[in-house]
Amino acid sequence: MTTNYMQNHSTLPQDASDEFLIQQFKDGRNEAFDLLYHKYLPKVYNRVRYVVPESDVEDVTQEIFIAALKSLPSFRGDSKFGTWLRTLTNHKVAEFYRRRSRKQEPHTAPLSEALARAEGETSAGLEDRVFLQRTLQNLPENYREILLLRFAEDMQFNEIAEHTNQNLEAVKSLFRRAVAALRNNLEK
Amino acid sequence: MNMYRSKDNLQKDMELADFADRLLSGGGEIPASTSDEELLGLEKTLLHLKESFPSQPIDEKKANRMLAQIKSRARREEPVRKSFFQRLFDLQSNSQIGLLVAVAAVVVLVIVGLPAPQTSTPPLSGTAFSGSTLVPVLGVMAVLFVLYWISRRK
Repeated sequence: MTTNYMQNHSTLPQDASDEFLIQQFKDGRNEAFDLLYHKYLPKVYNRVRYVVPESDVEDVTQEIFIAALKSLPSFRGDSKFGTWLRTLTNHKVAEFYRRRSRKQEPHTAPLSEALARAEGETSAGLEDRVFLQRTLQNLPENYREILLLRFAEDMQFNEIAEHTNQNLEAVKSLFRRAVAALRNNLEK
Repeated sequence: MNMYRSKDNLQKDMELADFADRLLSGGGEIPASTSDEELLGLEKTLLHLKESFPSQPIDEKKANRMLAQIKSRARREEPVRKSFFQRLFDLQSNSQIGLLVAVAAVVVLVIVGLPAPQTSTPPLSGTAFSGSTLVPVLGVMAVLFVLYWISRRK
């Protein structure tokens, strides 16, 4: 999923490992962060897109990378960078919903026709997506996580099994239960 | 009975996972192949999910614009570096050092304010706080005031 705009950063190897890039960043080479950003942006952006309304996706994604930029100097490498960033993403999304429920911002209330038209979509279609996003966000964490790993991050089931230290059968069983829970909640 | 059920569930797990793989690789069609109503419902849910979030690759221009904004916002949100004296007198974030400075100042004042030991020259009557003791006390207070004033200005 990495893209060709990584070619701009010729001073650092394109295939550098995350650990190497993090160390380079800690040593003062700020361009190492750019490479990490371009490498992980598609996954983070897509994950956010599945759980946050379209109009807020960019903002939440930016907040995730700002938090990553600030916290990277203290990243100790206890977990993989990708896992760390995924946790950060989940925290920021949860924070987004907390903030939103506190403020009750008018622009985040039921979607306007204007916004729907601007995106060439019917307001019914847009509201359906927002409902789906909220339902996904309200699923138990393990259910939400497996659906996002497979759909938003396009991880294969065997990769998910490896990532979660589970066997393939357990992962597929969890996946079916997650889909069933999603279906039940959508029908409520 | 339980064994059959678990075998049946295992079969459904596999079928649904295969369907998801086909769907995400671009080969998903409206599921009509399965006669199992439960599985059919789950496959429809996956279709709904896929259709609601069509693949939307992020283009280079947008990625670079976002990166520029991230860096600019991170710079803006960076805490302003405080001077040594500001940090020293910032009692909210550095209460221990602040307390230490206050205690040291009091100790210095007490020591300086103590009556001087008896010398060969007998003290004059009515000089409980002589001019020679007052000068260092005022000096210490002036230094502390100047330090505080500098810290406020920076």
